[in-house]
Amino acid sequence: MSEDTMYFFWDLGQYLLNGLTQGSIYALIALGYTMVYGIIKLINFAHGEFYMIGGFIGYYCIMGGMPLYMAFPVAMLGSGVIAVIVEKIVYRPIRSAGRIPALITALGTSLFFQYTGQLIIGADSKAFPTAIEQKMWFFGEIMISNIQVIILVTTFILMIFLWWLVNRTRIGKAMKATSYNHDAAELMGIDTNKIISFTFFVGASMAGAAGVLVGMYYSTVEPMMGLIPGLKAFIAAVLGGIGIIPGAVIGGLTLGVAENLVVGFWESTYRDGIAFLILILILLVKPAGILGKNRKEKV
Amino acid sequence: MSTPILEVKAITMRFGGLTAVDNFNLSINKSDLVGVIGPNGAGKTTIFNMITGIYEPTEGDIHLNGKSISGERPAFITQQGIARTFQNIRLFKDLSVLDNIRLAGHFRADYGLFASIFRTKKYHSEEKRIKEESIEFLKIFGLQDKQELLAKNLPYGEQRRLEIARALATKPDVLLLDEPAAGMNPNETKELTELIRWVRDKFQIAILLIEHDMRLVMDVCEEIYVVDHGELIAQGQPKEIQNDPKVIEAYLGTEQA
Amino acid sequence: MLELLLHLTILSGINIILAVSLNLINGICGQFSLGHAGFWAVGAYSAAAFTVYAQLPVPPEVNLIIGCFIGFIAASVAGLIIGVPCLRLRGDYLAIATLGFGEIIRIIIMNTDSIGGPRGFSGIPKISNIFWVYLFVAITIIIIANIMRGTHGRAIISIREDEIAADSMGIYTFKYKTMAFVIGAGFAGTAGSLYAHYTQFLHPNGFTFMMSVIILLMVILGGLGSITGSIVGAIILTLLPEVLRLMGETISEWRMVIYSVLLITLMLLRPGGIFGKHEFNPLKYFKKKGEVA
Repeated sequence: MSEDTMYFFWDLGQYLLNGLTQGSIYALIALGYTMVYGIIKLINFAHGEFYMIGGFIGYYCIMGGMPLYMAFPVAMLGSGVIAVIVEKIVYRPIRSAGRIPALITALGTSLFFQYTGQLIIGADSKAFPTAIEQKMWFFGEIMISNIQVIILVTTFILMIFLWWLVNRTRIGKAMKATSYNHDAAELMGIDTNKIISFTFFVGASMAGAAGVLVGMYYSTVEPMMGLIPGLKAFIAAVLGGIGIIPGAVIGGLTLGVAENLVVGFWESTYRDGIAFLILILILLVKPAGILGKNRKEKV
Repeated sequence: MSTPILEVKAITMRFGGLTAVDNFNLSINKSDLVGVIGPNGAGKTTIFNMITGIYEPTEGDIHLNGKSISGERPAFITQQGIARTFQNIRLFKDLSVLDNIRLAGHFRADYGLFASIFRTKKYHSEEKRIKEESIEFLKIFGLQDKQELLAKNLPYGEQRRLEIARALATKPDVLLLDEPAAGMNPNETKELTELIRWVRDKFQIAILLIEHDMRLVMDVCEEIYVVDHGELIAQGQPKEIQNDPKVIEAYLGTEQA
Repeated sequence: MLELLLHLTILSGINIILAVSLNLINGICGQFSLGHAGFWAVGAYSAAAFTVYAQLPVPPEVNLIIGCFIGFIAASVAGLIIGVPCLRLRGDYLAIATLGFGEIIRIIIMNTDSIGGPRGFSGIPKISNIFWVYLFVAITIIIIANIMRGTHGRAIISIREDEIAADSMGIYTFKYKTMAFVIGAGFAGTAGSLYAHYTQFLHPNGFTFMMSVIILLMVILGGLGSITGSIVGAIILTLLPEVLRLMGETISEWRMVIYSVLLITLMLLRPGGIFGKHEFNPLKYFKKKGEVA
């Protein structure tokens, strides 16, 4: 093998690794998108803001001297609680008004958190405190940091937990029942409002976890940080098949890898473009996503 | 014998592994009044959706006036002469009664976008024609006093009537009525029965009716097709159908049980 | 002060064109688009590219008119390219796809060096003024209102009301959705041309997703489906930031927060907007008062 091809493969390996790291962040956020969409058919635009909030809670906790293993669950809990409050105050009253008013409301909620965040915290980005000393390992020419390892491992654990929660617990069954048919679930004695709140809580705490991980990875947090990853996570959810939990993971990883390949082998300014391009391609070719089934509207 | 207006030839519809309609045949002559009945989920609506172009049959063919229309778009099929109403009334709720009817004349309006931007002579004459024709229709159906009302503000029975009027305003050869008696009380159903007969006599068109209300179908139809599990199990005049043991088993039997 | 007033009047005019044209797509046809800023950008950049690189030796006003025409054509072609694949999607999926396209347009501009790329496009001649802006406001409103009252407009409205029923009336719904989308995009392009030749400088960051949301807010504020509503909505949201600025620095900083709260409360209390689907007709009110008196 010539040296050039060798380097090509080292580069490829590096981009794949970075892509998987980035992608698992997208996947964590996408899980919440997909769960909320699955249960109330709402594209929760504000979901990216729960991720931002998680990042900031983590930031303040660690700044306040809290160790990482405590700051992490606190951030998850905080994001989750805020999501539950938002659902109760804003989304619940609008739920019956149809999908477009709900979508606009979600848009408004998203703007509200972004700009309130800018006013309260300041628009400039904050340096995320180093909770752990960064270490690097090399596998040939491929560089991997301990933070990347933490991100991959944490994501993996959280996904296993979520899988267990949805498939192996009573509340998971109730979530599935509610997403299939609200009224029927209600008739079976399931308190659907409670289930929806719980879904928001779980989804947002996943996003909160992603916020802290990203803070550690890029060493910064800022109030607008939720906008683009939020949109991309949504794209990841659509890509995998919105409403389908494993789809969010597949979509997130695919998107992360695709982006890093584009940035690595082509032009970094197209990083954000590729995500939207993928979105449009998937919507045109298979709107139901990789794992979804196409359905026809009933007359 | 003349060629039938609408001829459904051995249509089959499969959704994945499920056969919703299997090898169904039907033919209607001018000014026939035909009913398709069957228990819920028997495949009636699927047959309707194939005739109106919402689904393309997996197998078989549908001919209107001797021309194949299967697989064409719904709007095209309407323009060729099949109009329909919907089980759960689909009016343009926030438009006036008059506009609901005017929309049926849309595909015959003979002026372009530029004519409407520049208000040409053609625009004015065509708009006048469409309006006059629409008002004629409203008069026939006794709705002319309500032309300015929003469709959603009409009482239920009149909404049904407006929907039938709107379908007829496309000047079809065949009118398809999808469970028109759904949600009606016995009195309203009786009025509807008369309305259907009257429409047939007045417009001299073929009417195909889907219903699971047996009384209405027995009352009004001259020829009845009975489907169950996607298959035709009986065909004939109301009297014959009523006494057919297969029908009683599939349909009346379950209803009486 | 007078200068500011003139500035705001011109911006209001441009925003009226944007809001009315988006209303044709979102409110009148019921196809929810979130990418209007993209069409605005296409119009602005293509018209500006024309006057900067290919100006004809004619009076500047004629160049402006040609620019507006080019803006219209370029944006409506973009509308056609985006609309044909996207309009097969429904509701929230369409919203997201148009959002995606809007961003792609911006990213393409960002990466095109000849029109300034990330530096912004400068050196555009200042040839648009209050007269030309309001001439095009009038043209836009008249054309869209005339279309609405004809059979094509009724077909477009019927899609919003019930697409399946419209289909069953023999209306080619896809054709009319595309028509509304292309015309709406085209007028956004005209607005872009007027804007470019007024501000003399364009930057990709002026056409973000946030701008699409603000245009949408104008439409929703006035009422989805009401042209007069969009006009009022556009004026209110053009003046609001200035009014907030007069009320002090801190309140002005809260502008976007106020917008977001406005959007949410509007949805919760009056999802149809101020005028709903109806047109505001001042003459009608005078008549009614006359009858009472």
